Amino acid sequence: MSNVISAKNLTLAYDNGAKEIIKNATFSIKKGEFVFITGPSGSGKSTLLKALYGALKPKNGALVVGGHDLAHTKPKKLQELRRHMGIIFQDYRLINEWSVEKNVVLPLMIAGYSEDVQKAQAQRLLKHVKLAEYANKYPLELSGGEQQRVGVARALSKNPVVILADEPTGNLDDYSSNVIWDLMENACSQLDTTVVVVTHKIPTIFSLPYRHFIIEHGGVYEVH
Amino acid sequence: MKSIKNHLMFILPLVAILLGIEFYLVFDRTTDSYEKGLKEGYSMLVVANKPIKLNDLKALNSHIGSIESIKRENIVSQIAKGISKDSQEQILHQLPYFYDVRLDEYVPVNGLNKIKKDLESSTIIKKVETFGSSYSSSYRLFSFIKFILKLFIGFIAVVSLFLIIKQMEIWKYEHRQRMRVMEIFGAPLMLRSGILFRMAVVDAFFATLLTSSVFLYIKFKWAPVSGIDILMQKQDELFDMNDMGVLLISSLVIVIVAVYSVVVSNKGVEE
Repeated sequence: MSNVISAKNLTLAYDNGAKEIIKNATFSIKKGEFVFITGPSGSGKSTLLKALYGALKPKNGALVVGGHDLAHTKPKKLQELRRHMGIIFQDYRLINEWSVEKNVVLPLMIAGYSEDVQKAQAQRLLKHVKLAEYANKYPLELSGGEQQRVGVARALSKNPVVILADEPTGNLDDYSSNVIWDLMENACSQLDTTVVVVTHKIPTIFSLPYRHFIIEHGGVYEVH
Repeated sequence: MKSIKNHLMFILPLVAILLGIEFYLVFDRTTDSYEKGLKEGYSMLVVANKPIKLNDLKALNSHIGSIESIKRENIVSQIAKGISKDSQEQILHQLPYFYDVRLDEYVPVNGLNKIKKDLESSTIIKKVETFGSSYSSSYRLFSFIKFILKLFIGFIAVVSLFLIIKQMEIWKYEHRQRMRVMEIFGAPLMLRSGILFRMAVVDAFFATLLTSSVFLYIKFKWAPVSGIDILMQKQDELFDMNDMGVLLISSLVIVIVAVYSVVVSNKGVEE
């Protein structure tokens, strides 16, 4: 199987390169794999995820996602690449002035799908995340767990090639966490979606085979 | 309510700028004819030893627009009543040539002095007399009003621009979350900023309509009954339908620049 993500001697840094967070990391992730990235707070897990969706350019080395070297990808190409990604944030990042349904179909809207398709997909996904009756509500009317489920539905709405999730179940109740893990497992097993999850703790009940990377002292190591 | 307030916060400074632009246009139009009036109301009397032509004077100063010879016979008949014909002819022979000289455009006072000096430098010309004692004071008053109005319009424009910038800051904050999320999911610039552009264009239309309405009211309702001669006489010049185009283009340019600066400053998903 081909690599969807590959990093070679990757160094990521802030402050114009002065503060190195990830140093000389080399790893690759194949299509359809489920990957957990763990590590202590401040180790660089979120930084790595940011680099994977092109919000942080590598200082050194290569980071190739979907065939694009993110160190040299032009903004227009990066835009196109992001349209094949589903991104989930710990702080949800929903658009508060939009309804739940409109938030869910954002990737479809960007891709130019018709309103009928958008509506049908929103209904299907909201049913999956057990929020069918919340379509016309607004994010701030929902609990944290519900908002995160909307975030997951949004990430899945365009059947992305890669799902990048940053602490998707942090601070959530068990019910919401289980729904989210189920959805991501299904996407991976049924749609062959590559899923990369940054988390403090790997869920105890997890049925799929997965790979586990740990970030420590700037290095990215695979745990076997 | 918040949305109306947001629109008003942008529309009102925009209207202030547009009012300034329209005031300038109207002032320019009305003063154009005032300048023309000043020019036409001004004349010089040139007294020459020999007959002169327009080109002779134009060679001395290019601002000379036209000359009209004053019939010497008329002068003689006025001053030599009851004198014999021979004596009248002798007087006519001795009499210099008189010309009423007009200028081709409005010339400020220092320009007038130069024209007089240039004409007097000719050996054929004996004397140059200017008529129009109010010319200088009118011109000074006119210049002063023009300067004050421009200053006022400039001041209003600067204050309004500050208010628009302030509103842009609010927009930037309000729309940041949506634009950044959309950028993360790969939305192109036009889609990300579409809502903002639509909102701003609607505001631009409203501001243009509001400004045009004010001037249309002044033109058709207020000016005819104002009792102010100049407004009643120049009613047509108070608002031209082309002005609406100028105002619309101006407001669109202002909002596009404003929105574009918000969009550009919100670019970049890094935090």
